[in-house]
Amino acid sequence: MTGRLRAFLRLYAVQGAWNYERMLGVGMGYAAEPLLEDLRRIDPVRHTEAVVRSAQFFNSHPYLAGLALGASVRAEYDGAPGPQVSRLRTALCSPLGALGDQLFWAGLLPAMVGLALAAIALGAGPWMVVAFLLAFNLVRAWTAGWALRTGLRTGMMVGTAIGSSLIPRAATVAGAAAGFSVGLAAPLVAVWLAGALGRAELLGAAGVAAAGVVASRLAGPRYAAPKFALLAFGVTLLFRWVTR
Amino acid sequence: MPDAPALALLLAWGTLVGLDLVSVPQAMIARPLVAGTVAGWIAGDTEAGLRVGLLLELLALDVLPVGASRYPDYGPATVGAAAFAAAVGGWESSLGIAAAIGVLVALVGDWSLFRLRHRIARDIQAHAAALASGDSGAIRALQWRSIARDAGRSVALTALALALGAAATRWLSLDMVTARMLSMVAIGCGLAAMVGGAIRSAGRGARVRWLAIGAVSGLALVLLR
Repeated sequence: MTGRLRAFLRLYAVQGAWNYERMLGVGMGYAAEPLLEDLRRIDPVRHTEAVVRSAQFFNSHPYLAGLALGASVRAEYDGAPGPQVSRLRTALCSPLGALGDQLFWAGLLPAMVGLALAAIALGAGPWMVVAFLLAFNLVRAWTAGWALRTGLRTGMMVGTAIGSSLIPRAATVAGAAAGFSVGLAAPLVAVWLAGALGRAELLGAAGVAAAGVVASRLAGPRYAAPKFALLAFGVTLLFRWVTR
Repeated sequence: MPDAPALALLLAWGTLVGLDLVSVPQAMIARPLVAGTVAGWIAGDTEAGLRVGLLLELLALDVLPVGASRYPDYGPATVGAAAFAAAVGGWESSLGIAAAIGVLVALVGDWSLFRLRHRIARDIQAHAAALASGDSGAIRALQWRSIARDAGRSVALTALALALGAAATRWLSLDMVTARMLSMVAIGCGLAAMVGGAIRSAGRGARVRWLAIGAVSGLALVLLR
């Protein structure tokens, strides 16, 4: 297995040691290890310094971490000064975090989940779950591979490569797709779940949903869906106990 | 409740699902829709697992797992909730109780993840000298220990969810009206989380227009069917 393939596979565990101190740092060091092996033979002192830098603080979206990993490893082989490599990693944290969050967490994931929910509500059945997993992971694997290749190819110029890539435009499109598919799924899922209980239950669920949305608007960041759900369960049980 | 081999499989599945949320491989098997459907299939009722998974998925759509934010761990919770629904049968009356089990355990999962992250930070501090000297072995050991700790956390969380499900099957006796009412409330809470989360994410830009277009299209499909 080549060092590049091992690094690609290790990127799947880049958040394995996620913590509030170095965040993805240790995971990045773990993924960098196979890529830095040749540097040990070329320049052992530089290799030790590179290993230390590779596990320092780093944070980004995990699926795009390969860009920073590849770029910093390439910079180490190119002989860039150590502080410059550290600055490159630091500079990539915010853009890779923001782009990845927009593209995957706020875009592609809710878009694909919304479509899967809508399809299930329309009768697609459990196989839709398999289709969702396959589709999402194909995109994710392709992105991770592209990110590592691009980072290794461009080194210190990785910022330009990111700016001219499809990623920023894809993030905008994915956000719109997420809005559409979640909107599409909401009424279909409501009818599929509550409609099967009966017309009165459908109306009741719609009432609870409306109360929940109003509560989330009024409470702002203090609102948490699980806590609202537990409160609603408690009120329901109390109501039934009183009215029985 | 499921027999011993099925319980062992559910425990293994819950562990994989718990690891998937953050540690490895983040392949989205931790999404309640996936975790619940597979758990239902293992427990012998895929339909019940799918419905429980779908409902908890609506709740999970409320929060985006961005940056260092805290979020409930719905994966192992869904495994226990789906196993309960599959064991009881009749999803119409078990959905609400399954959702309550799922939500409770997901909140415990949030807390456990928070503790785990602090534990890993302490481990890193304890090995700061090795990291500062460029010891690759120390990096590898930290990585594997952290993943092993998350696996332990996931096993415990899945076991808690399965135990709560078993306890509810054994001791919780609700009349049909109350059980169905809880299911109705759970569905309403799920829809509120989904729609509320979508409105928050949409902001005021083009995305909110797409959300509205989607909702109108969904309503049209409902009326046409």
